[in-house]
Amino acid sequence: MEDAHRNTPAHPADELDRRDFLKGSGAALVAAGLTSPAAVGAVPPSGSAQQAAPEAPSTFLRFTLNGAPYNLRVEDRWTLAEMLRDHLMGFLGTKVGCERGECGACTVLVDGAPVYSCSTLAVWMEGRSVRTVEGLAPRGELSPLQRAFVDHNAPQCGFCTPGQLMTATALLERNPSPTPDEVRRGMVGNLCRCANYNAIVEAVMAAARGATTTGGGA
Amino acid sequence: MNPRQAAPQLAPMRTVGHSVPRIDAAERVTGANYTRDFVRLGMLYARLLTSPHPHARILSIDTSRAAALPGVRAIITHQTHPDIVYSSGSIAGGAQYNDAAKDITLHKRFMFNNPVRHVGEPVAAVAAVDRHVAEEAAGLITVEYEQLPFVLDAEEALAPGAPQVWPEGNIGLNGRNEPRPLGGRQGDPDAGFAAAERILEGRYTTAFCQDAQLEPRSVLAVWEGDKLQLYTPTQGISNCRHDNARDLGLEDHQVQIICHYMGGGFGDKNGSYYHDLIAATLAKATGTPVKLELTRKEDWLGTHGRWPTTQDLRVGFTADGTVTAVELRALSGMGPYLRRSGSLSGIDAYACANVDRQIYPVHTNRTVSGNFRAPSEPQGYFPIQSMMDDVAYAVGMDPVDFARRNMRRPSETVRFTNFSLDECIDRGVDLFDWRNRWRPTPGSDAGPIKRGAGFSFMMFRSGVGPSSAILRLDGTTNRYTLFVGVTDIGPGAKTTMALIAAEELGVPLEQVDVVWGDTDRCPYSVGESGSRTTIMTGYAVVEAARDLKRQITERGVPALGDVRIASATPNPSTEGRQRLCFAAHFCEVEVDVQLGHVRVTKFVAVHESGRILNPLPARDQIRGAVLQGISMALREDLLYDGRNGQPLTAGYYGARHLTHLDAPEIEVSFIETDDGYGPFGAKTVGEAGIILSPSAVGNAIYNATGVRMKDLPITRQRILEALA
Repeated sequence: MEDAHRNTPAHPADELDRRDFLKGSGAALVAAGLTSPAAVGAVPPSGSAQQAAPEAPSTFLRFTLNGAPYNLRVEDRWTLAEMLRDHLMGFLGTKVGCERGECGACTVLVDGAPVYSCSTLAVWMEGRSVRTVEGLAPRGELSPLQRAFVDHNAPQCGFCTPGQLMTATALLERNPSPTPDEVRRGMVGNLCRCANYNAIVEAVMAAARGATTTGGGA
Repeated sequence: MNPRQAAPQLAPMRTVGHSVPRIDAAERVTGANYTRDFVRLGMLYARLLTSPHPHARILSIDTSRAAALPGVRAIITHQTHPDIVYSSGSIAGGAQYNDAAKDITLHKRFMFNNPVRHVGEPVAAVAAVDRHVAEEAAGLITVEYEQLPFVLDAEEALAPGAPQVWPEGNIGLNGRNEPRPLGGRQGDPDAGFAAAERILEGRYTTAFCQDAQLEPRSVLAVWEGDKLQLYTPTQGISNCRHDNARDLGLEDHQVQIICHYMGGGFGDKNGSYYHDLIAATLAKATGTPVKLELTRKEDWLGTHGRWPTTQDLRVGFTADGTVTAVELRALSGMGPYLRRSGSLSGIDAYACANVDRQIYPVHTNRTVSGNFRAPSEPQGYFPIQSMMDDVAYAVGMDPVDFARRNMRRPSETVRFTNFSLDECIDRGVDLFDWRNRWRPTPGSDAGPIKRGAGFSFMMFRSGVGPSSAILRLDGTTNRYTLFVGVTDIGPGAKTTMALIAAEELGVPLEQVDVVWGDTDRCPYSVGESGSRTTIMTGYAVVEAARDLKRQITERGVPALGDVRIASATPNPSTEGRQRLCFAAHFCEVEVDVQLGHVRVTKFVAVHESGRILNPLPARDQIRGAVLQGISMALREDLLYDGRNGQPLTAGYYGARHLTHLDAPEIEVSFIETDDGYGPFGAKTVGEAGIILSPSAVGNAIYNATGVRMKDLPITRQRILEALA
């Protein structure tokens, strides 16, 4: 009876002592059917003759990122978020929350319009102009919108904040004096699970009024 | 709106009590570094393969095709690692911080389990040179399953002949591995019901709500010799270190946990998770740093959410509106593992001495339940506060007056450190204009769009306890450095700790640096759960600062090149008195009885959480929590297809989370007090705000329509069915 419910390996003989494993034995991996030497434990440091992944189809891409021209080869399967985060060191400000176009954390601006970079391919950026949160404060000086976010406590955990900032930036460029309802409608694609929606709208409205101060927004 | 309306008796302080932007606000608005943003040269990417079945025995796993894929470095399964126990994932009695409970449980949860007991449970993990290869390899693993009978509903799980999730049966086992309910009898419930002039009964249900923090889980594991470095999102680096060390057969000092910024947690990131073990195992196997990333769906189904409940309530009362007895028979759906207790609160907010509560944690083949912001409260308060609302109408009383008559108050036998619920209610009645918004006759508005108002009240733990802090004054730089083992999950713990230190030291906030979120650099801290960081670690900061001031008085400031260091691990006590925070919420809704649509038109939340240390983020903790509660009331669920056990709404769209457009404005008012405990009298804030909004919304819908909605979420369909 017990065996019917306990964690039993399909092949009990393959059981290995956990401590032995942690001491570095690679034998455990063989038990799972891993016979390729490259795939079994204790891999030597990179640069050795281990088998690398095959090259994926790629395309040469020219685009502008935060005002600077970029020319690089991108794999066709890379999303824009992936290119920014993994392949252009230093653009980790764009966050990935769902990777399926639900949450808006990864929002960046493409030719001034907010897009979900998790659901946009990098190769589509040919000749386009991309702006990320890093582009809002190019020399470390916060934009008025960022200052309003600080003053009005718009970030709680802060994970959705880069996306909220990008959408709000696009919104204010298009409509410098929105009503609160226009802000809510314009930002409906940016979720905040901390549900700090009230403060985010207040921050955007304050930025629109040019009412940003430094310190103390209550 | 001014979130801080200081009570006149509370003298203002220098630093504490004034709204201050976060000391790390600039990082937060430029894209701070969260766990997934950390990289190591040459690191591998890992991906999971998860179970597509709600309950199945794994007969075989063929990894040969995956292993042959160029770029794959390691594949692990329950066959390669059958013995690594994820000890905080299934605990006897659900006792979170109890090592013995993790040891004795008969329901051990492993890093990989066979059988698998819910859709989304991990079956294998692959490490490869890049993310795409890892993902492709996971898809090339062939698993042969023998599907087993499954059960999704807690009540069905207790019926004779139900599929068994565990050989001991489907009732969660307590700390002695016995299938006993939580709760118990107080006073004389039989006499209480006998004394009642009327009895109301009702069945209420509440839904599973994923914590759904926006940052999905990822872990970067790095071995340096026999020391493991884990970058992992956790609400408690000390507990995370301890749990991972025990599960991997290491000493605590062999594990370093690093977590600074975190993209929300809400309880989902309490302590350790099995992902830590998987990343550590893959990194060990390959001798290479490994970053494991979860997809949103893997996170939704593979972590946890608030336990769904079915609750049968019975309340006896007299014609003058005095409650004489309360009985609760409840089932909490825990999924296959008892990660947390399954308990329910709410009845304890009433004075009635005759109470009989039986709450069974029940195993099912749904995804796992665990802590979500006030783990036992909103789904406990919704039924009892709905039921008491009915009782108030039944005796012809205003629900506010009924609450004043029946709410628990301090007594000779049960003393509190302070009690302010009357003030909370008074202020809320005024701010909300209760007398004009509440309809004495429910559903009395003419026309298809009806308005109504609802009220609820609560008291919630704010207990003191041990934690640690270290404070250093450097004679060379003349700066204070505070070492606290906190992470910044969202409320701003880092800033709060600095504020407390600056206040007690009497120095400007700018002169205090904070070292945080790293077990190798920081002393023990209780963790960002249970709303304890401000109270417990904050008080340790006060004590450390007092010690440092004493040292400076006695020995002077440190010379150039020297330092003064103070540490404190206080374990304060309230001398047997209960320390609670208090709140009253008032909600007005508009219900379109033709479309079933509910709109919250006004919401006032009055809280007494002691002294408010930083009013701006405190206000937003409450506003955000109230909105999460409104989302729970009206929207969130994890629906399953009963035919095949497949989850249908695992994601933000499916669970219909609140957006900007759905979020009403929330008005918050704090009544400030200092009961002499905690740092400067501070109490619980973070969890308190979510407890009342589901019941306030439900009571407002009743007042608008005259129909009692007893099942969460209160969807359009349910409203239209109830009104039909």
